[in-house]
Amino acid sequence: TPLTDTVPPQVVPGADPSARQLCFAWGPAEVLVCETLFGRAGGSRSRCLSRSPSPSRFWGEGRAGAAAPVLTGSVAGTGEGAPSSSCVFVVRRDQDIYIQTLRKLFNESHGIFMGLQRSEEELAGKSRKAQLVQVSKNYRSVIRACMEDMHQAAVSTRDPALQGQYSTQVSILSAMELIWNLCEILFVEAATAGPLLLRLLDWVRLHVCDVDSMVREVLSSESPSKHKLFWNVVDVFVLQGRMDEARHLLSKEASANPTSMNMYKILDDLMKKMPVPSLGNIQTLTELELKWQHWHEECQRYLQDGTFASNPHMESICKILLGDEDAILEKKELMTTWYHFLVTRLLYSHPTVKPMELRFYAQSSMDLFLGGESSPEPLDMILMAAFEFEMHQVIKECSIVLSNWWFVAHLTDLLDHCKLLQSHNLYFGSNMREFLLLEYASGLFSHHSLWQLGVDYFDHCPQYGRVYLELHIERIPLSTEQKALKVLRICEQRQMHEQVRSICKIMAMKALRNNRLGSALSWSIRAKDAAFATLISDRFLKDYCERGCFSDLDLIDNLGPSMLLSDRLTFLGKYREFHRLYGEKRFPEAARLLLTLMTAHIAPCSFWMTLLTDALPLLEQKEVIFSAEQTYELMRCLEDLTAGNPDKQKFQDDDVETTKVEMLRLALARNLARVIVKEGTVEGS
Amino acid sequence: QVSVINTVDTSHEDMIHDAQMDYYGTRLATCSSDRSVKIFDVRNGGQILIADLRGHEGPVWQVAWAHPMYGNILASCSYDRKVIIWKEENGTWEKTYEYTGHDSSVNSVCWAPHDYGLILACGSSDGAISLLSYTGDGQWEVKKISNAHTIGCNAVSWAPAVVPGSLIEQPSGQKPNYIKRFASGGCDNLVKIWKEEEAQWKEEQKLEAHSDWVRDVAWAPSIGLPTSTIASCSQDGRVFIWTCDDASGNSWSPKLLHKFNDVVWHVSWSITANILAVSGGDNKVTLWKESVDGLWACISDVNKGQGGVSAVTEGQQNEQ
Repeated sequence: TPLTDTVPPQVVPGADPSARQLCFAWGPAEVLVCETLFGRAGGSRSRCLSRSPSPSRFWGEGRAGAAAPVLTGSVAGTGEGAPSSSCVFVVRRDQDIYIQTLRKLFNESHGIFMGLQRSEEELAGKSRKAQLVQVSKNYRSVIRACMEDMHQAAVSTRDPALQGQYSTQVSILSAMELIWNLCEILFVEAATAGPLLLRLLDWVRLHVCDVDSMVREVLSSESPSKHKLFWNVVDVFVLQGRMDEARHLLSKEASANPTSMNMYKILDDLMKKMPVPSLGNIQTLTELELKWQHWHEECQRYLQDGTFASNPHMESICKILLGDEDAILEKKELMTTWYHFLVTRLLYSHPTVKPMELRFYAQSSMDLFLGGESSPEPLDMILMAAFEFEMHQVIKECSIVLSNWWFVAHLTDLLDHCKLLQSHNLYFGSNMREFLLLEYASGLFSHHSLWQLGVDYFDHCPQYGRVYLELHIERIPLSTEQKALKVLRICEQRQMHEQVRSICKIMAMKALRNNRLGSALSWSIRAKDAAFATLISDRFLKDYCERGCFSDLDLIDNLGPSMLLSDRLTFLGKYREFHRLYGEKRFPEAARLLLTLMTAHIAPCSFWMTLLTDALPLLEQKEVIFSAEQTYELMRCLEDLTAGNPDKQKFQDDDVETTKVEMLRLALARNLARVIVKEGTVEGS
Repeated sequence: QVSVINTVDTSHEDMIHDAQMDYYGTRLATCSSDRSVKIFDVRNGGQILIADLRGHEGPVWQVAWAHPMYGNILASCSYDRKVIIWKEENGTWEKTYEYTGHDSSVNSVCWAPHDYGLILACGSSDGAISLLSYTGDGQWEVKKISNAHTIGCNAVSWAPAVVPGSLIEQPSGQKPNYIKRFASGGCDNLVKIWKEEEAQWKEEQKLEAHSDWVRDVAWAPSIGLPTSTIASCSQDGRVFIWTCDDASGNSWSPKLLHKFNDVVWHVSWSITANILAVSGGDNKVTLWKESVDGLWACISDVNKGQGGVSAVTEGQQNEQ
């Protein structure tokens, strides 16, 4: 999508483009920029850096030199003058997501968007259209609500800079609503000739507000007809097709000036009788056209008869009723915009205008209104594109002019649901709707809480939504455990296993660094990371050896099947179980478990000594616990341990170790003696 | 509309050569000719100096953050021929490993995708590329590709991790068979692609198109397509976009993004690979995006100068 920015060049403050270059790097949601001088790194042609400030000149010298590069020891220390800035600038493309008052816009429109995606297309034809129009109206009301908030904020702040910002936002939102409204009329509702005009009239009335205060002023004055702006207000009403209000005001004038009673009655009558399209199908277009033609001729007659000659105001009104362009254009100040002019023209010269004819009237209206004095602004071009039914052009122009993707993303999505956008294959095979939604949602991800909305938008991008989500969700800072769990839940719901694993590993590592072993262990179990689980289990065991007790007992006790993730973890779990059994004085079970730990090779060899030492108290019990067979097993383990020990020399020199071994041997022998006797004398028990 | 949201005064006493955000955009690492590497906490528009790392004896050219699952780890490379890996332990940053196996300036460092483990590729002016792999317990294993580029290697960039063949979920705990690849650019005007085969690194492809030293290469992140994309820029002022359509990585074709008037030093992809940032001549950074029919359009200039706008016309969008 060509998105050539028409915005004037951006200059990073403090960076001097003539002397320095810009070094940059992408962050997850931003770009880092700082001044630098490339060419120092890497294979420098000449290790001797010249004093020239301009890098291109530097290279020029090197090349022109042609001689072999001089490799000297000295290099970039202090370069060509001190750098003018040691600052790194963090730069972003759209910052609107951080504007607090826009938050409502993003949140509520998200709700509307989701509703639209979920709405089934069971309804067809008119009902579907009505549904879509309602969605459009909902979007617009959210924009208006936001405008209100923004306006309140502008009014209530004392800071002129903020006030300026808010006011700008208000006008941007207003423009957005203006455009959206027009798109709703032309594209979503696709108003046909007849109702089209009525809708356009509503549209103008809603959006041309510059005259509102003048209107209020005149209406609320004691005798409006004497107010100097009286006729302006009447004109405004006529130009906007608000006949009843115009007639009402005129009646006040008539009662004040009985001399013009006659003229007034005629004008009033003409205005009353003016045929206008109706919303219900009471009359066909042909009927309307006939009536209108008839009425038009009547107005013509009165004008030519000079009926209103003595009152220029009324005469001008009559001319307007006749659709006289010059007469209407005279009231430029009251219309303020060319599209108001357009609609007024249509009202009084082609009330049955068809949608496809709009483009011609629009172009000529704009030309006549601007009259070569001023050139069209971006907003004008967008509206023009809409009148020309160039939807893609509307979207493109909006993309360029607006500072964030919100508007184009949601509008395009709606138009897509109206089945109005042809599938326009972009480079990566997705269509425009998806492209815009991806951009919008990506922008949301840099926000600490709005990213959650972004997830839903990605979900509804069938082609690239998932991969974009995968790439973005990994970059969300997992500042708290709650946040990590939130992110995890989202990943798990979507079977994003890689991301789940990655996040769990990151959290495990974090916990480990902060010595929260229990947390680290539970994260690595969730990550199904055997290696890490082993590492942490070892830490636990080491802790135990040093302190004689376990930390995080709850966790270890309730490992359940996840114990099987890693051998070491299994051992940890079982070892803890041994301690529990011992604590509960279930000695035979404890004994059996202890033995199994060694014989089944669940325990690492390094731990056997500890285990055997743990066996000592069991061997010393009054009651015989280990059976003969078990005792032989224990002895074998001990022998394996001492025999297999490569560091035999060291082993034998270590007094503590040798004492332990001797004690064990003694205890085992004693136990064996006792058990042989016991088993020998047992009577069938 | 580009707006500066934060200005970090690094107080470096000499030219800054690189600045990198960590994975989450919460920390900033900078390195400079003043031989130091600095780390800042930049959350919420702030700038708090967390560490001022000294250890290099010459200008530090690049820094690179490792994936957070390995902890807070930063690599730096310098003119002093050293690569240093720094790690945060118990709240303080310390040197955890130093590699001195290169004979001249190390110009570029790049961490491999986290799926491969903790592996760092380093490109040096001695023409070699070294790969440092963490094997556990503070130990690093080194593999060296000597004479990767004659005269010198200026840049290295890893390919994203893509499991070849099936996309079926691997049983937990089992490592999928990744084919590890990375690209390098050098003073021999070449971009080379390296592939690991049976624990050895072999030159898989030689991409020839530049007529002068290649200063930077950047392998685009994957968005799930079978195509691979590499951007390369050179002393010759050209930026090429290389694409390879088949999964076996055999046929790469270059497309010229633009010919600038001056040396192009640096190219970099956004995380979803849809925007390429290029340091153009004329001291500006331009952002490029691929449009409808495969042509590249310049979408923004940071510090706009003269020239350098693509051939794509505005009418592109409406063609239908």
